[in-house]
Amino acid sequence: MFKLNLKIALRSLWKNKGYTLINIAGLSIGMASCILIFIFIRYQLSYDQQFARKDRIYRVVSSWKYSGSEEFSGGVPLPLAPAMRNDFAMLDEVAAIQRGRGVITIKDPSGNVRIKTDERTFYVEPQFFKIFDYRWLQGDPQKDLVAPNSVALCEDMAVKLFGDWHKAVGQTINYNNKTDLKVTGVFANVPENSSNPIQIAIAYSGYVNRNMKSWGSVSDASECYILLKEGRNIADLEGPKNAFIKKYYVEKGVGKEGHLFQPLAEVHRDDRYGNSSNNTTGMKEIWGLGIIGVFLMLTACINFINLATAQAVSRSKEVGVRKVMGSRRKQLMVQFLTETITLTIFALIVACAITEAALPGLAGLFREKLSFSLVQQPEILGFMGCMVLFVGFLAGFYPAMVMSGFSPALAIKNKVNVGNSGGAALRKVLVVAQFAITIILITGTLVVLKQMKFMREKPLGFNSSAVAMPYVPGDSLNRLKYDILKTRIENIPGVLSASFCASGPSSGDNTLTNFSYGGTKDADFQVNVKPADLDYFKTFGLQLVAGRALSKSDTIKEYVVNETLLRKLNVVHPEEAIGKMITVGDGHKAAIVGVVKDFNNMNLREAISPILIYSSKNNIGTLAIKMDSHQIPSVMKAVEAIWNSTFPNNVYRSTFMEEDIERYYENERVMGTLFKVFASVIIFIAFIGLFGLISFVATQRTKEMAIRKVLGASTFELVRMLNISFVLMVLIANLVAWPVAYIFISKWLSRYTYRIELSIWPFAAAMAISMLVTLLTVSLRSYRAAKTNPIDALKYE
Amino acid sequence: MITLQNIEKYYATKGLKSYILRHVSTTIQQGEFVSIMGPSGAGKSTLLNILGMLEEPTYGTYEFMGEDITSLSERKKIELYRNHIGFVFQAYHLIDEMTVAENIEAPLLYKKIAGAERKSRVADMLDRFNIVGKKDLFPNQLSGGQQQLVGIARALAAQPSIILADEPTGNLQSAQALQIMELFKKLNEEENITIIQVTHSEVNAGYGSRILHLLDGVIKEDLNVVNL
Repeated sequence: MFKLNLKIALRSLWKNKGYTLINIAGLSIGMASCILIFIFIRYQLSYDQQFARKDRIYRVVSSWKYSGSEEFSGGVPLPLAPAMRNDFAMLDEVAAIQRGRGVITIKDPSGNVRIKTDERTFYVEPQFFKIFDYRWLQGDPQKDLVAPNSVALCEDMAVKLFGDWHKAVGQTINYNNKTDLKVTGVFANVPENSSNPIQIAIAYSGYVNRNMKSWGSVSDASECYILLKEGRNIADLEGPKNAFIKKYYVEKGVGKEGHLFQPLAEVHRDDRYGNSSNNTTGMKEIWGLGIIGVFLMLTACINFINLATAQAVSRSKEVGVRKVMGSRRKQLMVQFLTETITLTIFALIVACAITEAALPGLAGLFREKLSFSLVQQPEILGFMGCMVLFVGFLAGFYPAMVMSGFSPALAIKNKVNVGNSGGAALRKVLVVAQFAITIILITGTLVVLKQMKFMREKPLGFNSSAVAMPYVPGDSLNRLKYDILKTRIENIPGVLSASFCASGPSSGDNTLTNFSYGGTKDADFQVNVKPADLDYFKTFGLQLVAGRALSKSDTIKEYVVNETLLRKLNVVHPEEAIGKMITVGDGHKAAIVGVVKDFNNMNLREAISPILIYSSKNNIGTLAIKMDSHQIPSVMKAVEAIWNSTFPNNVYRSTFMEEDIERYYENERVMGTLFKVFASVIIFIAFIGLFGLISFVATQRTKEMAIRKVLGASTFELVRMLNISFVLMVLIANLVAWPVAYIFISKWLSRYTYRIELSIWPFAAAMAISMLVTLLTVSLRSYRAAKTNPIDALKYE
Repeated sequence: MITLQNIEKYYATKGLKSYILRHVSTTIQQGEFVSIMGPSGAGKSTLLNILGMLEEPTYGTYEFMGEDITSLSERKKIELYRNHIGFVFQAYHLIDEMTVAENIEAPLLYKKIAGAERKSRVADMLDRFNIVGKKDLFPNQLSGGQQQLVGIARALAAQPSIILADEPTGNLQSAQALQIMELFKKLNEEENITIIQVTHSEVNAGYGSRILHLLDGVIKEDLNVVNL
């Protein structure tokens, strides 16, 4: 029976080639999008899931509550890890891990430098490897990573440095031109989907930092992982945690300190805390993508249901005959569902091909390593199986029910018509739903693109174009070379000015600190400090509204503040502030000499912070170089040469200010592209669905149109007649879609402090696009129907 | 085999009853060959549909092989279709997606007959109707007469005890029609299959053993055909 059903299904699909093609095209594109989204979501959720004890691993993260705002950090104070090890009985292990970066040099036996490279490093406590079960190829971290100046490498790094990982153990590498580290172990490469991409693990016992005992200072780079004892609940730690905070945070800061035990799975998902892979994907984005996937699948299914119920009439005779031969309704439904599922499987095969073709694009968009392999990823096979069944039943069940429900007496006499075949009203509702989804996506796309354009073009209050930002090493020996470096670089033809600074005017790297203005009492908010030199203002084109810029100094001598700081301090006229004293953090008291016009110091989601600019040679990390935009390549080459001769033991690294800013909007770039792609996919699906439906309606009404034509209707009038009902449906779809789109969009826009005003235009444009698509599709098909010779239509019966 | 008592069928529109059948009572025995005749609109097809359980009478009782049909469940009706009733249609109504052989096989599948038995019965039918060479063709590749032969072969494959035929020769040329009627007659005489056909043609009716004349929903005449 099944074999025959399958055979008949194939024949009937072949007989209605046109509709089959439309269905397969719509379904396969919808399915391919779903598979791609599934692969992506699966990959995102697989982060850090490869560890055996993953359910008991937590990261300790920090937060500070201020009046009206909150700060988050994935790091903890340095003394926290040993203190926790001491105070918490419910933990198996506590491990500190400190991320860093430095120059690795390897010398050959004769003492010449063989390799010099700039690498990310991690100082790791051996307990870390009790929490996370890394695979060790050689050595045992519990023994070999205890002594200071021992280091373990991952396989790839060992191969990179020594050619063969078997040769690595026992060798010596030099770190930051200071310490010699002895290689004592090699571990297997850490997979891409890991929040701790450790390649070089240095024994934590050798880590030195002047804040080793300070509870008041937190760096994002100092993380702490804990392993909960088996059978314990993380909620039980709440009491001990509060006691712990009370015990150690004795100095009262402006913000109230707090800690949270973040489950391992959340490390990749919570962008408030960040992580060592510099890569987070929030659950919101994952949900958003999932919802888009479901929408796509729904529109494709709607196509199928519409076409199938529309076509049902032509199958009525078969249903009648089968019924009088003794077929049960159930058997007929099984037959029709077989047909749907056969079609779905065809669509799936096409979808796999599309997925394969589109995957590199998706991987490139997200800058992730995604792969599509059914053997390695059996979940995908499972997902595809579920999808076929889901689509098959969702799309096939209703039409099967309608068709199997025909009364045989009417069916045999061909008296079943569109009206009583059921679903005429339902079809209309479905078309409206489909177009509503399409319109929501079009509107969303237009707004996302407009907001992105707005952010690219908004004046930030400083000039970021043609500014290179090479880093400069910050150790005391190299600091002595700063002045020579600057002079040499300023002499390169094409360099307009240069400035030593900690970071550009807009940066993701921000340092906040307490301060007091005028009197002695600390202000109730923190200030964003920007160490820089006198040329900072010239290099970035910052404008002063009062006073003057910084004068030459290597230490804090005077301050320049921004307008926001004054506004927050209730100072109305910038001139009033000149000469007032400010004391920052640990007691640097100096006068305000200038007020700089507000500039955007973070991405445009954030408001402008209160800012303090001062000279401090010890906190410099970058040399900002403003160039003549026509000479950038030659200038960059010269800069690199001078840099390398000034710092021969370090590795040159540089970015452009504009690229740094561009990087803030990575998320928006991805969103924009995704919206564009999926909106076009959905427009395409809706378009072919509409085409199928209008083809059917035109065929159904051939006779009516022939009669009207004989009565004197013009082709134009007939086309208009067919258009009206569809245009009406799309109009209703617009009305349905607008409020929904409005809610989604205004929610998305509210993330941005600087955003476009939501106007009527995106909505109007979406309506225009949907109307145009409808008119084009319907006219295209109905024109052909209206042009046919009435004799051909009327000579039947 | 079939007993109809006081069968009525009407449609009520705005309180006005328009009758299709009135006071139809008759009995048909196993092995009879009955032709239902009458002008257009007399209710012939409706009567046949009621006999075939495709329509329900508004009033009256219908017993098929001793069972009261009006109170029969859908499941029981399907059982009757499978085992006792074969339909032949004016427009043949073969399933377009199936070949000749598959069309004949279809009712056997619903009867859940084993594969080997199905094959032999289909072969038997093809043989008997001389259409072995056409078994892999699709209905639209056959002439009308050939299609109707397949239609009858399909109805017979399930070995029904009664065949209901609605103008089986209505779309056929006279030579082909003759052939079909000969076939019915042979089936009736040799295999004792009850046949009830609706027809316009006196010639066709002449092949049967009994004629019911309908006029405006009422049986006007019930004649026995005297075979010459």
